[in-house]
Amino acid sequence: MSGERTPTGRKRPRKRGRFLPYILLSPLVLFIGALALYPTILTTVQAFFTVNPMDPPTRFSGLANFRALFHNSFVRQSAANTALYIVVGVGLSTLFGLGIALVLQRRSRWRGVVLALVVLPWALPAVVESVIWGWIYDPTFGVLNSVLKSLGLINSDHVWIGIGRIVSIVLIELVQVWQITPLAALLILAALQSIPQELYEAARVDGAGRWEMFRRVTLPLVRPGLAVAMVESLILSLNVFDQVYVLNGFAPGGASIMMQTYQISFNNLNFGQGYALSLLATFATMLLSLLILAVVYRRVEF
Amino acid sequence: MRGRSGARRVSRALLITLILVWSAFPIYWALNTSFTTLNGAQSVPAHFVPSPFTAQNYKTLLNSSGGVGNQFWRSFLNATIESGLATVLTVVIALFAAYAFARLEFRGKRIILVAVLATLLLPVYATLIPLYRIMSSVHLVNTYPGIILVYTSGFLPLAIWIMYNYFASVPRELEEAAFVDGATPVVALWRVMIPVSLPGIAATAIIVFLMGWAQFIFPLVLSSDLTTQPVTVVVAALYGQRIVPFTLLNAVGVLAAALPGVIALVLNRYIVQGVMAGSIK
Repeated sequence: MSGERTPTGRKRPRKRGRFLPYILLSPLVLFIGALALYPTILTTVQAFFTVNPMDPPTRFSGLANFRALFHNSFVRQSAANTALYIVVGVGLSTLFGLGIALVLQRRSRWRGVVLALVVLPWALPAVVESVIWGWIYDPTFGVLNSVLKSLGLINSDHVWIGIGRIVSIVLIELVQVWQITPLAALLILAALQSIPQELYEAARVDGAGRWEMFRRVTLPLVRPGLAVAMVESLILSLNVFDQVYVLNGFAPGGASIMMQTYQISFNNLNFGQGYALSLLATFATMLLSLLILAVVYRRVEF
Repeated sequence: MRGRSGARRVSRALLITLILVWSAFPIYWALNTSFTTLNGAQSVPAHFVPSPFTAQNYKTLLNSSGGVGNQFWRSFLNATIESGLATVLTVVIALFAAYAFARLEFRGKRIILVAVLATLLLPVYATLIPLYRIMSSVHLVNTYPGIILVYTSGFLPLAIWIMYNYFASVPRELEEAAFVDGATPVVALWRVMIPVSLPGIAATAIIVFLMGWAQFIFPLVLSSDLTTQPVTVVVAALYGQRIVPFTLLNAVGVLAAALPGVIALVLNRYIVQGVMAGSIK
């Protein structure tokens, strides 16, 4: 009220306008601050503390958590497993995503229907998908064995998950690839559609064939999209949990780092070591993302 | 020339068929298994259409008071409440914040925007344990508010990113007419920005709801019983017990996937737009 009486007159609305952005942003800042940034700081700091309800009080312990993790053979094995999950996940989802995007790049009558079905696996919960695939992989009654037997590729029922480490990991990751490929396909498709048509026409005038056009025009110009898709796949496969939990439980032959973090923290209640492993995984995520960007990403100007 | 383009068309049709089989076969297989008897599902070689056909598994889930049906529907309700309310909260908060970022000038804008978007890159690892410990210290473990707050904090960065890009693409002239008429920014947001941005808001809401419905590790940590456990946690538990017959389990899976599946098929346009809008910048 007092603002209206000042000689300058329009003080009140301007003053309200000055604070308006902060009022609009305050819920967001509160959420991100309290439930994203603060927890991240907590993880970073308490990785260097002993935090264990069975062994109070919480106290500084330097690098003890990290040393314990490095000496834990289950942790080392889960790191190796996760490396394999990442290679299979990033490799296959990028390959399949690029293939699907190239097919969908051409507009046609069927494009809408195909796109809707392609996106479907991305929209469903990973847990439900893992149950569905678990039934497909079932050693006695699964359709995978049934089909392979009809084709004469195997003679007797094969146990797919839980015996061979590499086969288990590849098949578990295939379930995640099924879920995340649509995302890669959409991201790559967006990049493909931003390539100006004239470039293809110019290449055609120069007498380039289809393969030549793909190699000289498409591939270089789709790199930003590829890079984003690969980073997305990297983050998702580095975090793989749901598929492993459902299909293989905590068996060391397939456990991922996320499974190990869950077990150390919530089964063993050794939160300090959980924080330390989380911190290492967060750093690994950042380093590998930067690596992918450095190798794959190129700035594109049309 | 003609023969070559014919061969090209055939190979393209084959590729599309392959893509469709890869995308849809596992879902078809769950449907197929859920509509037959245990004997039918265990036949060797496998039947590719339900034989004998029966809706018994779905009847069991609908009728059984107590047991699997009861657990399933309670968790279905929990998932709907948790992802529904988290979606509403996320979209409302993101609307105001994205508008401020896209249209208003103020000190600290860049740093706040960068800080919010940086959390998009944080993996689950960075926040899982502390969020459990924070929620447990304020006694919100195994409550709806606890889960909804955690979901909202996780979904906000992506929601901001999609909506900010959408708002930034709306021409400023549209609001200027309102400003000339003496509207405040909040009125301009309500009267002009929200109506023209409805597709972007719908895309954000749909993507956030689907993400909420699919959550597993956070509710696994934050929910201890059926009062709050969402459908994912219950489905994983039922699978892990190895007692529930596979036909019934597939019916559970089909019902758990039905809501997001129908949303994805019917509202596909918005999802594709939303993902593409948030992708390359």
